[in-house]
Amino acid sequence: MSFPADYPYFVAAWILLCGLYGIVRSRHLVHMVISLTVVQSSTYVLLLAIGFRRAAYAPVFAGLPVGARVVDPIVQALMLTDVVVETTVVALLLAMVVKAHEKGGTTSPDDLRFLRG
Amino acid sequence: MPSPALLVAVPLIVAALLGALRRLIPRWTADLLSILTAAGNLTMACWWTAHALHRTQVYWFGGWFPRGRMVLGIGFTMDGYGCALAALAALLTTLALIYSWKHFESGGGHFHPLMLVFLAAMSGFAVSGDLFNLFVFFELMSTAAFALCGLKTHEPAPLAGAFNFAVTNSVAAFLMLTGIAFLYSATGALNLAQLGQALAGRHDRLVLAAFVFLTTGFLVKAAEFPFHFWLPDAHAVSPTPVCVLFSGIMVQLGLFGAMRLYATVFQGCFAGTRIPWIFVVIGAATALWGAMMCFAEHHLKRLLAFSTISHTGLMTLAFGLWSKAALAGLFIYLVGHGLVKAGLFFCAGILLHRFETMSEPALFRRGRALHWTAPLWFLGGLGLAGAPGFALAIAEAHVTPVAPWTEAIFFIAGTLTGAAVLRVGLRVFIGLGDAGPVDRSATVDEKPETNDPGRLVNTVLYFPALACIGGCMVLGFWNGIAGIARASAASFVNFSGYVHMVYAGATVVAQPAPVQSALLKGVLWAGLRGVAAAAVALWAVLHLRIPRPLRWPSHLEGSMRPVRELQSGHPGDYVAWLTLGCALLGAAVFWLAL
Repeated sequence: MSFPADYPYFVAAWILLCGLYGIVRSRHLVHMVISLTVVQSSTYVLLLAIGFRRAAYAPVFAGLPVGARVVDPIVQALMLTDVVVETTVVALLLAMVVKAHEKGGTTSPDDLRFLRG
Repeated sequence: MPSPALLVAVPLIVAALLGALRRLIPRWTADLLSILTAAGNLTMACWWTAHALHRTQVYWFGGWFPRGRMVLGIGFTMDGYGCALAALAALLTTLALIYSWKHFESGGGHFHPLMLVFLAAMSGFAVSGDLFNLFVFFELMSTAAFALCGLKTHEPAPLAGAFNFAVTNSVAAFLMLTGIAFLYSATGALNLAQLGQALAGRHDRLVLAAFVFLTTGFLVKAAEFPFHFWLPDAHAVSPTPVCVLFSGIMVQLGLFGAMRLYATVFQGCFAGTRIPWIFVVIGAATALWGAMMCFAEHHLKRLLAFSTISHTGLMTLAFGLWSKAALAGLFIYLVGHGLVKAGLFFCAGILLHRFETMSEPALFRRGRALHWTAPLWFLGGLGLAGAPGFALAIAEAHVTPVAPWTEAIFFIAGTLTGAAVLRVGLRVFIGLGDAGPVDRSATVDEKPETNDPGRLVNTVLYFPALACIGGCMVLGFWNGIAGIARASAASFVNFSGYVHMVYAGATVVAQPAPVQSALLKGVLWAGLRGVAAAAVALWAVLHLRIPRPLRWPSHLEGSMRPVRELQSGHPGDYVAWLTLGCALLGAAVFWLAL
């Protein structure tokens, strides 16, 4: 079965919207952080789809014939950077959730609203 | 000639050292090392700014020069605007670190390394010439900022503020990355100059969508309406030196990102369209909204945070006018506002240090003993209103002749934010009138952020505030700033000069002819703003002596409940606003460009 060429872009858009919906409707801070990583995975799909070429090799040139088709290594590098940066952010956010639970006794964003008005 | 890479490399290396050795070295060593590093950055950035007034230059990491039209490497573009912002970031970091000397609670030694990482990221962001690097520095800046915001982990409120900040800004970063992916798929390039050339004259749907996503990302950082909700929460709970950097430079760097992107990548695409007017509308709305919310606020740090929103809105408006004069005014505004806002935050920090609260009613009459803080606070309030003698007055005299109706927006926003600060001054330092309305947001518990049991206010705490407010006044009287601003603005809008710099290594900056600015008219308006701000402040403070129907300022101060409820403290709500704002921006861009 073959999919139309722009299929991954719709997947990326769908994942993005799912993640945003998750953040907006979240009742639990951990759920919210995970929804954030869902938003992020839409960028993975998008970046990989942009660099993808049919019947092409991975961009490791050792042992490949000269002029062989490879997928775009730049978007993969972008994605890797994105993964590294976001892992940091997610770790930091989860640490904050742990601390908030310790000090505020809650993991619900509705009960953590000390700052209003 | 110092290598531009040092602007980023030195603070990062010192940060790593301080982080690794934080349990071994004494406090004063960490203080001294970080102050010296920031001061070193300040020196280098000032040197590069002076250099860039005559010759803008590109630096390629690892000597990866462009081959033909193909850009291979990653570059720093050292132009006047970017270098000046790097210098401002370094100046504010230096002063914030001096303020934190010895007594500031350092979060287990994490404070200094984080501040230096933050500085490195801001410097890199200001001079980056590569779209993806812009994103990486944006993220590095954000991550350091999230951690600094939540430094006081022993209280729940800072955690909530930092969480809201982190969630909204991370969503913004993902939208930016989506925009970058679109641009890369359209052109195969990431260098700003190469992107701009590849896209010239092209505005199809893909390019427009990329513009919408990237601009949304930057405008969230710049706290533009309706993307601004995270900012007051983050400011209300951040330690004072961190507030200084957030309000003085980080938010404005978000705007600068949008400006840099427009000047390089999209200027050619949108020439002749009305796209820049979107920024004028967003800026005007933000300026008025922020000013109104600022006047209604009674938590000192939140009040200053809303005034930052308002003034960044004014800067966005100046950017949207997109002329050399307006951008020169914007340059002075950035520097002047950064200084005056930093000064006010330092003064608020002194109050917090001395009295352990940030609530205006709780501070009523208690500041009367602080003879040094009071004049600085009042001068800061006048400076914020753009009264004559402050840098903001000169900035506005540059911007408003471009579109005379903007004078009204500058007047309302300047008057209201200045009046809010002066009102606090009248109540806290002089003790006029009554304590003012009790306000829920003003009752957020704030534990002291300094560990000096005597709660004495020493010279080290005064010096940064004095330097900032004094600096803003010096700029207000110094003619040279206008020349620097005009040269920087001229090279900032000159895209062919930027391309030439990237491919040929350097571009000579054409010296702009001195223009006859409408200075007299500017001084008149500035004086009017100063007087109006003082009058509104007195009017609000002495409201009980005024007949009930004439108590307008106190109505504005006390009866904004329904509007202020929008600031709900729930990150989900903020992301919903962000999504709505992005959709509206998209609709506007597609409507104006297609």
